[in-house]
Amino acid sequence: MEIIRVRGLDVGYGDTVILHGLDFAVLKGRITVIVGESGSGKSTLLKTMIGLLPPLRGEISLAGERIDFGSERDLHKLYRRIGVLYQTGALLNSLTLFENIALPIRMHHRDWPAEKTAGRVRDMLGRVGLHEHEDKVPFELSGGMRKRAALARAMVLDPDLIFCDEPSAGLDPLTSAGLDELLSELRTAHGVTFVVVTHELRSIARIADQVLVLRDGAIRFIGRIEDVPASPDPYVQAFFLRKAEP
Amino acid sequence: MQPFAQIKAFSLLLGDEVYHTFQYLRRRRGVLPGEIFHQLFAMGTRSAPIVCLITFLIGITISLTSAAQLRQFGADIYLADLIGLAMIKELVPLMVGIMLAGKIGASITAEIGTMKVMDELDALTTMGIVPVKFLMTPRLIAITLAVPLLVALADSVGIAGGVVVAKIALGTPPPVFLREVLSVVTLSDFLTGLGKTLVFGWAVVIAAGFKAFTIEAGAEGVGKATTEAVVLSISLIIGLDCVFAFALY
Repeated sequence: MEIIRVRGLDVGYGDTVILHGLDFAVLKGRITVIVGESGSGKSTLLKTMIGLLPPLRGEISLAGERIDFGSERDLHKLYRRIGVLYQTGALLNSLTLFENIALPIRMHHRDWPAEKTAGRVRDMLGRVGLHEHEDKVPFELSGGMRKRAALARAMVLDPDLIFCDEPSAGLDPLTSAGLDELLSELRTAHGVTFVVVTHELRSIARIADQVLVLRDGAIRFIGRIEDVPASPDPYVQAFFLRKAEP
Repeated sequence: MQPFAQIKAFSLLLGDEVYHTFQYLRRRRGVLPGEIFHQLFAMGTRSAPIVCLITFLIGITISLTSAAQLRQFGADIYLADLIGLAMIKELVPLMVGIMLAGKIGASITAEIGTMKVMDELDALTTMGIVPVKFLMTPRLIAITLAVPLLVALADSVGIAGGVVVAKIALGTPPPVFLREVLSVVTLSDFLTGLGKTLVFGWAVVIAAGFKAFTIEAGAEGVGKATTEAVVLSISLIIGLDCVFAFALY
């Protein structure tokens, strides 16, 4: 079942068009990985899907409802249904881990009693294995812990899907593998849908159900990870075999 | 950014901040509970010591300079009139404004600018939180509450500088000096000084926010924007003071 449908999407800055006529769907309960070399437009695509950059043309629908990027109401609706894990984690440094994760609840569910909020936050901290660190502030945590905390914050309001921007960036291979395992586990155990932007091939192999390869703002491949070897596109082959650009 | 684009961006942000502040006062939403008190406390503790020190020293300096002149004409007692009016109507607003630019303005730009560079503003947006409202509304309300306290403190300390000099250099007893100050300074003078300082305080917060929200580069940009925020704040304060001078005198 599709959770996101993108049709004829053109995105750019000013007169420069970066993404051209993209058409694809993100499937519910799966991990869709957007890959591509630097400058391929994957971060621009992510920014558009999370409502930070309005498209020039085309449309994006979330669970069958078209998003009007010019309407604050639509954007607000979108933000209530998604969670985002940023490359830097983007936790607020002035707040403790507990307060960071409680922030979306305190802003959007002011009627929740403190015990209910605390229970929810601790449940999220438990899921990402950080229940012992709730009183720490972000700079007291390692890079991997910050990302897991940011993931807990992204999940705290039970969004329909979670976007992850380069989750393995800046992490050592072990921590990166641990984070990938966590994403896979959340997908399997809790049915969370993820859209992950990355160029880490090992990470792609570990987590991807569906892969979308971008090059120069256009889709070169979209399909299951198992189908990549059968792709007739030499660029896709070269990308996954880590060969020089054809 | 081109000057016209900067003026446009500044006006848009100013409009946004005013709109969101009034909206918050009406609906009490979009700001973290307790944040206004937190900002008020931070602004007060950060600025009060330096404001006291500077206004006390200025009170002493102006008194010493003036006492020498007034003594020649046997007009010693008018030192109280001079210090009272100069401090309350002109020097305290100006000095508190400049101190706020250095202490509060710089810290607002550095803090929000770093948040922007670290994607925290985007994170707030995608959590359905309006960053301008979430970050600027508490600061604008806090400065509105902090300024009257700082002005009362600075007025008292500045005049105390005059009292010290009057006693040591001219032999004027403190009760006589203070009686003369109270006879010449009216409530309207105090409110004029307070009103000017409030406007300067708002200018500092808005200028600092503008520089923070329009940072384009990375960490290097934060340092540059912080310096620019202080320069812009002080320029705005001097410009607004000039406007007040035309309007009030």
